[in-house]
Amino acid sequence: MGLFTDIYNTVAKFFRQQDEAVIGEESKSVATNRLKLVLMQDRTNLTPRVLEQMRGELVDLLSKYLEMDKELLELNFEQEGDQVALMLSIPVIRAKDEDEIEEALNKANSEESFEEEVSEETESKEESCEDTECSSAEECSEEEPKPKKKRSKKVSTPEGLEGNSEEHHEEENICENTEV
Amino acid sequence: MTGRVIVITSGKGGVGKTTTSANIGTALAKEGYKVVLIDTDLGLRNLDLLLGLENRIVYTIVDVIEERCKLRQALVKDKKNPNLQLLAAAQTRDKSAVNADQLREICEKLKEENDFVLVDCPAGIEQGFQNAVAGASEAIVVTTPEMSAIRDADRIVGLLGPKEEIESCKLIINRVRPSLIKSNEMMSVEDVLGILEIPLVGVIPEDTGIITSTNKGEPIVNDEEALAGKAYRNVAQRILGEEVPFLDLDEPKGFVAKIKNAFAKWKAKV
Repeated sequence: MGLFTDIYNTVAKFFRQQDEAVIGEESKSVATNRLKLVLMQDRTNLTPRVLEQMRGELVDLLSKYLEMDKELLELNFEQEGDQVALMLSIPVIRAKDEDEIEEALNKANSEESFEEEVSEETESKEESCEDTECSSAEECSEEEPKPKKKRSKKVSTPEGLEGNSEEHHEEENICENTEV
Repeated sequence: MTGRVIVITSGKGGVGKTTTSANIGTALAKEGYKVVLIDTDLGLRNLDLLLGLENRIVYTIVDVIEERCKLRQALVKDKKNPNLQLLAAAQTRDKSAVNADQLREICEKLKEENDFVLVDCPAGIEQGFQNAVAGASEAIVVTTPEMSAIRDADRIVGLLGPKEEIESCKLIINRVRPSLIKSNEMMSVEDVLGILEIPLVGVIPEDTGIITSTNKGEPIVNDEEALAGKAYRNVAQRILGEEVPFLDLDEPKGFVAKIKNAFAKWKAKV
């Protein structure tokens, strides 16, 4: 069996059909993903930077209430006629219990007042980085909390996104990552 | 430094203006020249996609014109080649957001610091075309060997003719399929030249590699193997004043045919 597949693969490689199929598939998915992102930008008039920021802040917000798989969080804008809808798909691992939620909310509140007092200076706050309080999916690993820049709080209001404006207000409370 | 400002135009849409702009720009930058590509297709920008720069754009040409940023801030450097920069079109505005004088001014500024300013023109002959042409002193008209594309190209040549600023107007015939020409199903390069009567600067074969390269956001000139890439590199050489023979597109593709061909060439040499 193995021998046959070997021979088949060698022959296929020789004719480069298999190779081309693989390359074609790859570039197709590259194209699809690039296009999705670009269309999202076009439909909402948001720049990549703002989108990434928005994603991060949504993760912060939802992390207060849910434990979720941040890597798989999908943020999409779908257009139907004149209306743009924000589609958010998040694999939820579990809902947090009340205490955890309260803790997260308190933390966010204290940070908010803290932010008002001190503007940009880095302060040391000794708290372990629980995965529920990560402020960004990519940058926070559970083992080593990294010093992190404060996110800017302003999100420019997207034109043509009337339906979603409330979400932006709520996002103003930013759950910050542990700062060292 | 006074660079050359070349507009790439076609009249008809979908003939490969943007692909041509991206590839010639990349090829010239690879040769070490400083190049700026301007996308003037306001509302329908795509040059950023072909270069794979879509996520790096912060400011657009409209931001420059409306003075929300400096010209230099709006230039996006290519991932691979810092000699190549893109000035992107605005995606959310229409052609009326810019006028010819403003574009001319931008071209004037850019050519002071660059060897080449390539202006990717939108399809059509309205305001967008007039804007794109405004700052240019040379034009490259892209067509395919199809009736509609040639007719539109002819119209463009007619519109460029009276413009005193345009000193030269050259032709690229894109998406040529030698097998169809052979079977007399497609107009040949000579046929097209006979109709349009402007000097030829490039013949680009139809190449499926263009699809993959677009998917990846990587101009095909970066692919040393691809025939279309080679054809575009030759165009760049001709723009630089080199005399490069046009590619022999008749080369058979099959393995046996390749050997035959190589043998025939060897025989011809001996």
